[in-house]
Amino acid sequence: MDINGNWDEDEDEEFEFSRNYFLAKELASSAKKSKHKLTDIDVVDELELKEAASQIQPKHENEIALLLDSYKTMYPEWLLALRCGFGLLMYGFGSKKTLIEDFASTALTEYSVVVINGYLHSINLKQVVIALAEVLWDQMKTKRRVSYRELQRQQPFNSQSMEELLTFLDQAEIDDVDFFVSVVIHNIDGPGLRDSETQQYLARLAVCARIRIVASIDHVNAPLAWDKNMAHTQFNWCWYHVPTFAPYKVEGMFYPLILAHGNANQTVKTATIVLLSLTRNAQSVFKVLAEHQLSHPDEGMPISDLYSVCRERFLVSSQVTLNSHLTEFKDHELVKIKKHSDGQDCLHIPLTAEALQKIVLEIN
Amino acid sequence: MPEVEENDLQPFFVLHKASSRRKDRTPTAQEKLCKRNELSTSPQSAKKLGGSRTEECDHRLLQQLQIEAFDIVWAKIESTIKDVLRDLKASVFNDIQQWVLECCNATKLLGEPTIAEATRSFPLLSNTTPGQLFTAFVVTRNIEFVDDVLTFEELGHFLKSHGCHVAKLSSLEFSLKNGIAGCLKALLREFLGCAIDVPIILIFGVATTVDTPRNVLPSHALERLCPSSFMLGTPAERMDAIVEAVFVKHCTMFSIGHKVAAFLRNYFINQDGTITSFIRALKVACLLHFSMEPLSLLHGRTIAEDQKEGKSALSPGTLLKYIDELPLYTRNQMVDHHTKKSMAEGLSELVTVQKLWSTTVLCLYEAGKYGRVQLLDLFCEALNQDLNLSSDSDHHVRDERYCGLSSTSDPRPQYSIMQSSGFIGQIVRKVRDLPTGMLYHLIESWERLTADISEYNTHTAQFRGLFSLGILETLVACQCLDKSLIHHIICGIGKIHEKLKVLQSSVRCEDGKSSRKSSKDNPKRFASRISVSTDNDARILNSQAIAFLDWLVGNFLKPIEGMPFHEILCFKNVEKLQLVLIGDPRRRIQVDLLDFHMILRCSCCSKSGNALLPSRHDSSIMYSLAQEHGDLINLHDWFQSFRTIVLQHKNKRKQNTKQSPQPKKRKDTNGSADQNEASIQARFCRAVTELQITGLVRMPSKRRPDFAQRIAFGL
Repeated sequence: MDINGNWDEDEDEEFEFSRNYFLAKELASSAKKSKHKLTDIDVVDELELKEAASQIQPKHENEIALLLDSYKTMYPEWLLALRCGFGLLMYGFGSKKTLIEDFASTALTEYSVVVINGYLHSINLKQVVIALAEVLWDQMKTKRRVSYRELQRQQPFNSQSMEELLTFLDQAEIDDVDFFVSVVIHNIDGPGLRDSETQQYLARLAVCARIRIVASIDHVNAPLAWDKNMAHTQFNWCWYHVPTFAPYKVEGMFYPLILAHGNANQTVKTATIVLLSLTRNAQSVFKVLAEHQLSHPDEGMPISDLYSVCRERFLVSSQVTLNSHLTEFKDHELVKIKKHSDGQDCLHIPLTAEALQKIVLEIN
Repeated sequence: MPEVEENDLQPFFVLHKASSRRKDRTPTAQEKLCKRNELSTSPQSAKKLGGSRTEECDHRLLQQLQIEAFDIVWAKIESTIKDVLRDLKASVFNDIQQWVLECCNATKLLGEPTIAEATRSFPLLSNTTPGQLFTAFVVTRNIEFVDDVLTFEELGHFLKSHGCHVAKLSSLEFSLKNGIAGCLKALLREFLGCAIDVPIILIFGVATTVDTPRNVLPSHALERLCPSSFMLGTPAERMDAIVEAVFVKHCTMFSIGHKVAAFLRNYFINQDGTITSFIRALKVACLLHFSMEPLSLLHGRTIAEDQKEGKSALSPGTLLKYIDELPLYTRNQMVDHHTKKSMAEGLSELVTVQKLWSTTVLCLYEAGKYGRVQLLDLFCEALNQDLNLSSDSDHHVRDERYCGLSSTSDPRPQYSIMQSSGFIGQIVRKVRDLPTGMLYHLIESWERLTADISEYNTHTAQFRGLFSLGILETLVACQCLDKSLIHHIICGIGKIHEKLKVLQSSVRCEDGKSSRKSSKDNPKRFASRISVSTDNDARILNSQAIAFLDWLVGNFLKPIEGMPFHEILCFKNVEKLQLVLIGDPRRRIQVDLLDFHMILRCSCCSKSGNALLPSRHDSSIMYSLAQEHGDLINLHDWFQSFRTIVLQHKNKRKQNTKQSPQPKKRKDTNGSADQNEASIQARFCRAVTELQITGLVRMPSKRRPDFAQRIAFGL
């Protein structure tokens, strides 16, 4: 990027970008499209593949360690930015989980630190905010910043609304700018936090006087999640480019291996995580389906059958509720619809019997 | 999965609670200070602070000072900006408030509502009243969204403070969830309590022109409105006001280098003229100034001193340390005494030059107002060191010759500001063509700018703080320096003022039709220049004004960056500012992958230039390979080329007697067991996953199961 950023060069850059895009398009159409199929690869057994994936030898361990070490010299700068009221946003290739947690454990010892794992699929932000309020309350009590009256007046946090909690975290009347709880958000662009409502809440959390945010992003388009108001006045980011080249171990856990047959094949773990985030009734509906599939391995379950069983067990009261459960399952690829030979729609779980058994055990 | 800890799978967890180690801030800092003082009593020990404890103590102290400095300076800048913006809006806000009052009175004249009307949900909207709603259209002049929200918030506060009930609605509230109707209902509910005797008055923000509502609203809605309109200032006007207060009149001594100024200007323009974004950028610059430049702390202290006079929390020893870290200090390694003296003198000169620079910029801006030159542009140009063409030796000559204003036939051609393509040139050309009446006004305003030394004196109180610092007192006879500094500045300004007086007298002469007076002094000199423009008296005046500007620019427009010790006050690391302010994940993450070996500085991966070596990070190899594909990547091909690269090494080892230029045999390694194959496949899978996490590659769709899709093209 040009520092003087004059218009011509900006335009050139834009032109370059679109030119690249069309060149790539052209390349795709002119060079004969490769006819090779993914299935042409002689893929090893799935279990073996997973085993091998867990045993990949890391490369350049020493250099990476040195690189991480070199970031330690930046800790004071980061701390200063944080204490001056900015948010920290870390980006660059490689998992930044270790780096950020190390920073938090060494440089932020004087402040309470709460970590949010944004790479997970289901995060209940309300619960997080309640936890933050509790932590701040503790911190206030130990620092004797609470009057006796306040102590008595304070309601339990989990009965408060989001608005009340945010107001509590704002605590504008405390005069000390240096009194705050830091929130570490790994992958603020992660699947569990990506939707715009959550981002709005995070932004509102970020403006609270007693909160400072240290976050990481990995997706190249992550900044598109924020409008100008969020990015410039609420999050108030200081950007730091800290590539680590460390493997995305946890972050990549929920992505299917591309060579493992059919990406639809969910692992037991991811399926369980999804199921556990659903309501008790939804889990039970899934269990009915799973039990049916285990006892009749070759045929799917007609929707009408599922409905009548679920009604009998008081799991659903109407077809509408059942459908909403099914939509949820379908969205997470826990259920597929197959046409039976007689033309009826049948439900089918795209998992092996073994995996299914494990899941049924887990959600029990 | 191995090595995954319990906490990693929790949606959130508490890493640790605040340690109780931390005591209250101030005593800690002072404690540390004492420790420092003890240490720095012997000069050697100051240099040999080996112990990690002392080092940590140093760090903490340093950071504490940095934060204090930042807090003080930024608070000052922020409040200045707030005041400036408030003053700008004040007149419009007052007008609006006045109008609201009139509206209220007008509705009261319509008489009290009947009980029936009053108990209806919305009396004033009912048909029995004349049915017109007073409506203000506030033309926001294309103000940017963020600023817009802020402005109306302020207007709300303003009206509230004048006793109005205010309800606010912005497009933010019109969410899908609530809908417009939901918002309005909530709004009405809010008003129900007081609606009985309070008229409803609408205030709309209009982004473009006053007649927009006429085009947008249906006629029956328009019939119901009784419109008035108000104008807010443009973003450019606000910006100029901020630049003037913060950088030209120097509310703090914080200033920025030319490149930083140019960057901020472009940033402001690129953000559609968002003041809020500019202020944020300035704040980041300020943070970086204190975070990166040790000497900047002197700056922070200065202002702190100014605020709470006399209370010096900093010992001379500590400050000395920072002075010792000054790059300039090491550069001109002189005898200690001399350096310190030169430092003190340097600071004094810095302040003087800054003030004269400000006056010059303000004079130019005053002239530029006739040509609609923006202060922001002028400011950037005035900071440019390349602009300063004239050398010092020239100045003396010119100074002496400048006894009469008409010394324009210098051996040097009529100074280059006339020809310069920049804003200063533009201003000068405008002055050349200015009618006499306007010129007269301009000179008057110049006089005001330079004559008001009393205003200027209060300003210097700030600088005085700099010299009441303990450190300088011990270094030089500070009292005398203080006086001499002010003397210098007053002298400089006085000079300008004198020059102006001469200029003005000639204008008066012109007015009194005895115009020849000043030019008579040097008729020959003029003859050469005026030959073209005939013997027009007005023209002579214009050229005299230009000569004045010329003299001003030549002598006083010295950018701060050229001065010694400017590091104390001036932030100029534009690269760092850009990095911290903007970030560029899209480009930089790709660069991370493509130039992996450069970032990691490993010897193994860069030995054969840009060729892909198997030692490189798998994702880096994969992304480099992806560059060879179009927008779609055939997974099979991608895998095969990855496999080739990864196995390259092994093949080479086998046939290491010969260097094969293109190792391609891959089935050779069949012997090394399937385990190897599984491992390569696993590595391929993981690399794809990692690229997926970065969003650079999208997974195969159902329609194209064999192709991944590239997202980014070029950096």
